[in-house]
Amino acid sequence: MDELAVGLENIRKTYRIAGTRKKKTAVEDLSLAVHSGEIFGLLGPNGAGKTTTLKILLGLVYADSGTGTLLGRPLGDRSAHASLGFLPEQPYFYNFLTADKGLALYGKFFGMDKGELAERATYLLDLVGLARNSHLTLEKFSKGMLQRFGIAQALLNDPDLVILDEPSSGLDPVGQKEIRDILLHVREQGKTIFLSSHQLSEVENVCNSVCIMNAGRSVKEGMLSELLKVEGLTRIVLAGAAGPRAESLDFARSVESSEGTTTLEVANSDTYRALEEARSLGLELVSVEPYHRSLEDLFLETIKETAS
Amino acid sequence: MRNVLSIAWNVVRDASRRRIFYVVFLFGLVVLAVSPLLPNFELGTTGAFLKDISISLTSLFGVVLAVILAVTQIPGEVEKRTIYNILSKPVNRAQYLLGKYLGILISLFGIMLVMSLEILVLLGAKTSVFSPVILQGVFAVFLEAAVISAFCLMLTTLTSVPITIFAAILFYFLCHIKTSFLHQKLIGSTSGFLKVLAGAAYYAIPNLENFNISQQVAYGGGASAYYMLRITGYAIFFAAVFIIIAFAAFRRKDL
Repeated sequence: MDELAVGLENIRKTYRIAGTRKKKTAVEDLSLAVHSGEIFGLLGPNGAGKTTTLKILLGLVYADSGTGTLLGRPLGDRSAHASLGFLPEQPYFYNFLTADKGLALYGKFFGMDKGELAERATYLLDLVGLARNSHLTLEKFSKGMLQRFGIAQALLNDPDLVILDEPSSGLDPVGQKEIRDILLHVREQGKTIFLSSHQLSEVENVCNSVCIMNAGRSVKEGMLSELLKVEGLTRIVLAGAAGPRAESLDFARSVESSEGTTTLEVANSDTYRALEEARSLGLELVSVEPYHRSLEDLFLETIKETAS
Repeated sequence: MRNVLSIAWNVVRDASRRRIFYVVFLFGLVVLAVSPLLPNFELGTTGAFLKDISISLTSLFGVVLAVILAVTQIPGEVEKRTIYNILSKPVNRAQYLLGKYLGILISLFGIMLVMSLEILVLLGAKTSVFSPVILQGVFAVFLEAAVISAFCLMLTTLTSVPITIFAAILFYFLCHIKTSFLHQKLIGSTSGFLKVLAGAAYYAIPNLENFNISQQVAYGGGASAYYMLRITGYAIFFAAVFIIIAFAAFRRKDL
């Protein structure tokens, strides 16, 4: 976790507004550090500067100022791209190619030979559930199939770092789940994933650190578990319904009962008292943990704070 | 080199998918349609006339194809974002640009080769004479198309597709008609400044008339090997200049 997979320092990027002399700032004073093996989520509302940041990393767009490294090499050094995989948002491919020919084309850029390519393509098309469609031209693929093909091409070179821009964009819940499973599979292999997404649940499920951007700036960054933790509150899960007897727990911040489970949120100082009350009510202890808010709450709160 | 060739081959595949090759067959049909209309002069005249018309038609189709192929390459890839999947791999922008240009050249070469064969067959059928000299004329047209496609590729890195098409048409006519005008100014002008200006323009703007050898092919024995070598070098020089300018503009272009 010590090595930096991605490092950006004080990046600024402006675009000229077409037909005018005015410039629009897309990214302002952005610094990021993504360590090897991390699953990093880049969040932000539309126009926050996420895609521009990814493009700067990939050398598709050049920053006005600031410095950065990609897999230990300065930004713009193409040799770093040999260990990099990328899935653009709503990806388009050469739709006259079949899935296996498409992978063969991209594989050549990594210097892969025919045998290696064929083996890797078979494995990846199977992983993303396209094994039976390998001989279909990409123009016949649905949006979900294209997205999965996009992930296959992003993993073709067995990259150390995978950059994914909105991998679940426009997919139905089944498609989103499939993409999430693939991401978890990639995570298990120890790869570094840099994920830009609007799907907060997806980020919450797979990422261990995040950066929230708004209006081109990083407004919150850190380990997800730390960011979601609410200081001073404990969450207690108990087996059994407290029902009308819950009056004795009225010191708790909240009491929720459903399907035979009672969940309490209490001040840290009230944890032992709550446990004793629960025992006296005949409720069995399931877990005690620091209280966490959802990523959605954190995101909305952060955007609201920074907007004002 | 492998990256350049992979990109080039993909351009060829794309061109064939885009049914651009159908133009080749359309060309054959046009030549076929024109052929019976030719008067049967004395033996040899009909063949010469047919050669002249065939090369002129090849030139017309070749230039149109060169423009179509070149103007759609980079803007099309940027619009569809397929370029992201290439440049995020270990492929640099010079390789990408060269691959695109090489792909255009291979496509044009393939198309013109088929056109040449069509002319040879039609000429053979009409005059019962095999005329390989026609290949020389078509090769000169290919060189002209190579310069025009490099010019268009350069412009697409600098400006929009409609402006590129307009500029390409202007470039074509300017480069064909400017020679005699500038040459007259260069030789005949009494003003030193005008002479320098005409001279600079004369040498800076490619003279596409150099590639027009239809008269030599149709009514003579073709151009000399030295002349063919000279115009090949001339085409390579101007194509290289345009591609270098294209790279300078494309090198740090935001995509």
